[in-house]
Amino acid sequence: MTKRGGRTWARQVVLYGLLALALIWTLVPIVWMVLSSFKSADDLLATTPKVVFAPTFEHYKGLFLGGNSLWGYVKNSLLASGISTIISVALACLAGYGLARSHFRGKQHLSFWIISTRMAPIAAVIVPLYMIFRTLNLLDSIAGLIIAYLTFNLPFAIWLMNAFFADLPVSLEEAAMIDGATRFQAFWRVALPLVTPGIVTTAILCLIFSWNDYAFAQTFSGPSSQTIPIAAAQLLTQTGIDWGKLTAIGTVVVLPMVVVGLAVRRWLVRGLTLGAVKGE
Amino acid sequence: MMRPSFGARMMLPALLLLAALSIFPFLFIVWMSFNDVSPIGGLSFDWVGLENWTNLFTDPDVRSSWGISAIYFVATVGLEMAIGIAVALLVHELIWGKNLAISLLLMPMFIAPVIVGLLGRFLVDPTYGLYAWVLNTTGLYTQNILGSKGPALVAVILMDVWEWTPLVTIIVLAGLASMPDEVLEAARVDGANYWQRLRLIVLPLISGIVIVALLIRSMDAIRYFDIIFITTNGGPADSTKIIPIRLYETAFRFFDLGYAAAIGLSMLAFSILVANLFLRMLARQGLAR
Repeated sequence: MTKRGGRTWARQVVLYGLLALALIWTLVPIVWMVLSSFKSADDLLATTPKVVFAPTFEHYKGLFLGGNSLWGYVKNSLLASGISTIISVALACLAGYGLARSHFRGKQHLSFWIISTRMAPIAAVIVPLYMIFRTLNLLDSIAGLIIAYLTFNLPFAIWLMNAFFADLPVSLEEAAMIDGATRFQAFWRVALPLVTPGIVTTAILCLIFSWNDYAFAQTFSGPSSQTIPIAAAQLLTQTGIDWGKLTAIGTVVVLPMVVVGLAVRRWLVRGLTLGAVKGE
Repeated sequence: MMRPSFGARMMLPALLLLAALSIFPFLFIVWMSFNDVSPIGGLSFDWVGLENWTNLFTDPDVRSSWGISAIYFVATVGLEMAIGIAVALLVHELIWGKNLAISLLLMPMFIAPVIVGLLGRFLVDPTYGLYAWVLNTTGLYTQNILGSKGPALVAVILMDVWEWTPLVTIIVLAGLASMPDEVLEAARVDGANYWQRLRLIVLPLISGIVIVALLIRSMDAIRYFDIIFITTNGGPADSTKIIPIRLYETAFRFFDLGYAAAIGLSMLAFSILVANLFLRMLARQGLAR
């Protein structure tokens, strides 16, 4: 680095001052949610917001230990988002590789179809799916939610795995085939292990998208298939809102996704721009 | 190179499933848009020709929802781009704590939009809300925020901005990190100050990535409606009723599914347009595969 004159010190102060502002704007809601989930009902109702308080686990106990506990919702969320993620990533590994390694007329059209499926507005997708699910008896079923999540996870995964495979030099697979491997073996033993970060990133993003869904679950699920975001929304009642429980559910929904999301930070840009921008 | 037959066999299972998931519902929604569809007491279809479509262009409610959508879209995407780029430029200059700062700044975008909405409601709750309390004690605003027309729209816009600005930040940061150091160094040696370098070198260099961020955000901005769905659900007095909320209400409160289908198709046309721009952008950068 070259010298930047005597203003360096002042510049740093300004920079970190601005950073502090950005961090306050970003973190206050999250910190406040987590803090509130450990506050007693009295502390929550205080007219002057309390920063110092005696922590309590009553809201979490109420959620997980009482009757109609959150476990059922957690199970539904895990099943619906987990299975749709596994199906999407498995099929997308095959298709993404096939797409990256073949050249044919109309490939652009195929790509366009895939991306526009991913980008279809959820409100527009809900209408025909509702009719189809109703006819096929898929309302209030985990299977219905899995299908609904596949509508956005599958095209996303195909597109992204295609981007990751397209980065691999073909020469490694060609060398394997000269040594006697079949095409599928070259894919399975050479290409697939090399895109492990891509697979993990794709899977985590699929998991986040479906875990975070509200609109589909709100429309399609019933008593036997409701997910955690639905459990959170159900706490909004006319008679009053139990903010302690609500912030506790919020924490339960948010925490795992922040952890897995940050775990793949290196590849996140790649994933979130659908492969268009290479990461850090 | 490999024979296309292998590639085709690899693609077949996924593409068959995708076709079932997309083409069939698409044809179905097109057909619905020409019918009067009611789900009450068993599904019923009555062919009405172009009625839903002519309604779409004459209905003042739908028109006002498109107007609110336009405001919401421009305000959220505009603010997210502006703040996102600014924060990225800031973080790029940091010397220590850069990684930690990025991790902390990214957190909102992993949060379920419905939780963002609920959290927003909590923060601006007139009785218990932290932000409502701050606005109250400083005397800046003392009314019920989500219950008043203008402030409610501002609040749901800011919730969206809070959640999605980090996405722009992280994309632009990737662009900044990929800039060639020599060019910037040469400009510095030539005596260009920060703002000159920013305007003449940095911004032109990252313009492609900025456009990618803009298109990604644009497509998602049309897709999601969870935040408004859970906070105001279009109220008060329709002041936050963006087009997907109008669609949802038409379909599942007034049970006019045929009309909802027509509204849905008009939204789809918009997102296909943006997706098309996105692909062209990729092709221009030589990124299309």
